[in-house]
Amino acid sequence: MAHRWGMVVDLDRCTGCEACVTACHAENNIPTVGAAEAARGRAMHWIRVERYWEGEFPEARLTFRPVLCQQCDNAPCEAVCPTYASHQTDEGLNAQVYNRCIGTRYCANACMYNVRFFNFFHPQWEKPLQLQLNPDVSLREAGVMEKCTFCVQRIKAAKSEARAEERELVDGALQPACAQACPAGALVFGDLNDPESRVARLSESPRGSKLLEEYGAEPKITYLQRQGWHEPDAQ
Amino acid sequence: MAQPSRWGTPSVFTTAHRSAGEAFRAFFDMRPDEVDQPVAFSHQLHLEKELVCTDCHEGVERGPVAGLPSVNTCLICHSQIATDRPIIQEITAMQEKGVDLAWRRVYGYTREAHVRFEHAPHIRAGVDCSTCHGDMKQQTVARRVVEMDMAFCVNCHKAKQASNDCLTCHF
Ligand code: HEC
Ligand code: HEC
Ligand code: HEC
Ligand code: HEC
Ligand code: HEC
Repeated sequence: MAHRWGMVVDLDRCTGCEACVTACHAENNIPTVGAAEAARGRAMHWIRVERYWEGEFPEARLTFRPVLCQQCDNAPCEAVCPTYASHQTDEGLNAQVYNRCIGTRYCANACMYNVRFFNFFHPQWEKPLQLQLNPDVSLREAGVMEKCTFCVQRIKAAKSEARAEERELVDGALQPACAQACPAGALVFGDLNDPESRVARLSESPRGSKLLEEYGAEPKITYLQRQGWHEPDAQ
Repeated sequence: MAQPSRWGTPSVFTTAHRSAGEAFRAFFDMRPDEVDQPVAFSHQLHLEKELVCTDCHEGVERGPVAGLPSVNTCLICHSQIATDRPIIQEITAMQEKGVDLAWRRVYGYTREAHVRFEHAPHIRAGVDCSTCHGDMKQQTVARRVVEMDMAFCVNCHKAKQASNDCLTCHF
């Protein structure tokens, strides 16, 4: 059976440390644009950690929510792409084919999660930072959209290795950079079509919900959060 | 990333090329068939001595990249063989100085083509090197004898029922 890649984000574990963000930048050659351009909304983070304040000081509580591409089954970004650069693969990934992209930016406007990023500039890495670029990942030129790929280069490498050794993929052995970096183990990645996988079992959890589920994009990322959480009584 | 690409075209897409000649070459996809290599290496001579590709291109069966030999690889044999030839003495001197051979690449794609090729699956599937690189026994230094455009790749993938999703080759 084909794989169907998905993820579970356990918000009760996330401490908002942003290790995932850093790891993602390093793995995927994501350029930074500088403070001035970031202020104009041109920063690129395939994964970001949103902060939410609840209540008033001194009862205030801070929660975090890592947001990345939800790899929707019914993705609004795909339907609007005039060149099929944005399309769904057999394994349920929202692929972005850079060659095919002509930079209409329709997809970014259609995406309600704000996880698609346009390259306004030619990517630049000051010397010697170009030496840390990941050779397994393309450098995107100005004028194309980019987004989280679930580290497709790792998926491909793991599948290729498994095929060479004539074995099946082992659940948990394959992780995108964000999940690998997460010290709290809040991000769990795997094959939703394998009922035994951790991600498939966790996504059935009663704590689970999907982000903006009501819009019907059918995201493949499940957020886990205890409902009705309250401060333990201070006695 | 202001380094020029292998074909002399700018490494990032720009409408303005550095010279008219460069824009012309890039537009018509003209690439040099033969490049100047640091030493006059001969595939023909080595392959006639029954060497196999993996003696020098060690990664080809294992991973995406075949790999080009370093001076150390040459000297596995040439610390004993043909040590009286000037080229070999030159290479021996290079190893002693700790410098390596700067082979220039023959095959390959521009960065904007976003092609991610893998050797190992092809070798496992029994695709012969000559399908994509021509008969190396006829070549001294490697030359571009096969034009590996997208149709070349996709047609064989279709025929052999290998994966043809865009993400197979572009990501
Ligand atoms: C299906 C086509 C195909 C086959 C078969 C193939 N190659 Fe290649 N080879 C390529 C392509 C395409 C490139 C350029 C890859 C790139 O730069 O991304 C390449 C690059 C190379 C390079 C230079 C870059 C590197 O990977 O180190 C060497 C050396 C090489 N091939 C050797 C071999 C040998 C030896 C064999 C047989 C054992 C072989 N190739 C079989 C397509 C092929
Ligand atoms: C697996 C062993 C092997 C390796 C590795 C090897 N060679 Fe050779 N090489 C030979 C043999 C055998 C000959 C033939 C010697 C003769 O003609 O007497 C030869 C001959 C040569 C000659 C021709 C000498 C002449 O003028 O007749 C050159 C030049 C040469 N090799 C360069 C290289 C370089 C450069 C490398 C590294 C990229 C290399 N060789 C790696 C085995 C090897
Ligand atoms: C003795 C070492 C040796 C052997 C054996 C050898 N090669 Fe090479 N190969 C080299 C060297 C050195 C270069 C770099 C110089 C050049 O481009 O010719 C090279 C370059 C190449 C390139 C061009 C790579 C690129 O894109 O820059 C290809 C293709 C290639 N070899 C294929 C083969 C194939 C196929 C075989 C087996 C039939 C083979 N080689 C056997 C040493 C070797
Ligand atoms: C002569 C036939 C042939 C040609 C030409 C060919 N391929 Fe392939 N390729 C195959 C076969 C067969 C497989 C499947 C191997 C397998 O299933 O393990 C394959 C597998 C692959 C894979 C790995 C597939 C995966 O699922 O991860 C990549 C990447 C790839 N080819 C890229 C290319 C590119 C790029 C070119 C053009 C430069 C090319 N191929 C040309 C026959 C070919
Ligand atoms: C088997 C490998 C393979 C597959 C599958 C593949 N391509 Fe390609 N594609 C290539 C290669 C190789 C080139 C580079 C040709 C060249 O530079 O000569 C290329 C080039 C392109 C280009 C031109 C890029 C440029 O800037 O020159 C576009 C556009 C493109 N591919 C789109 C696609 C789309 C869309 C799909 C999926 C429907 C796809 N490709 C599937 C191998 C592949």
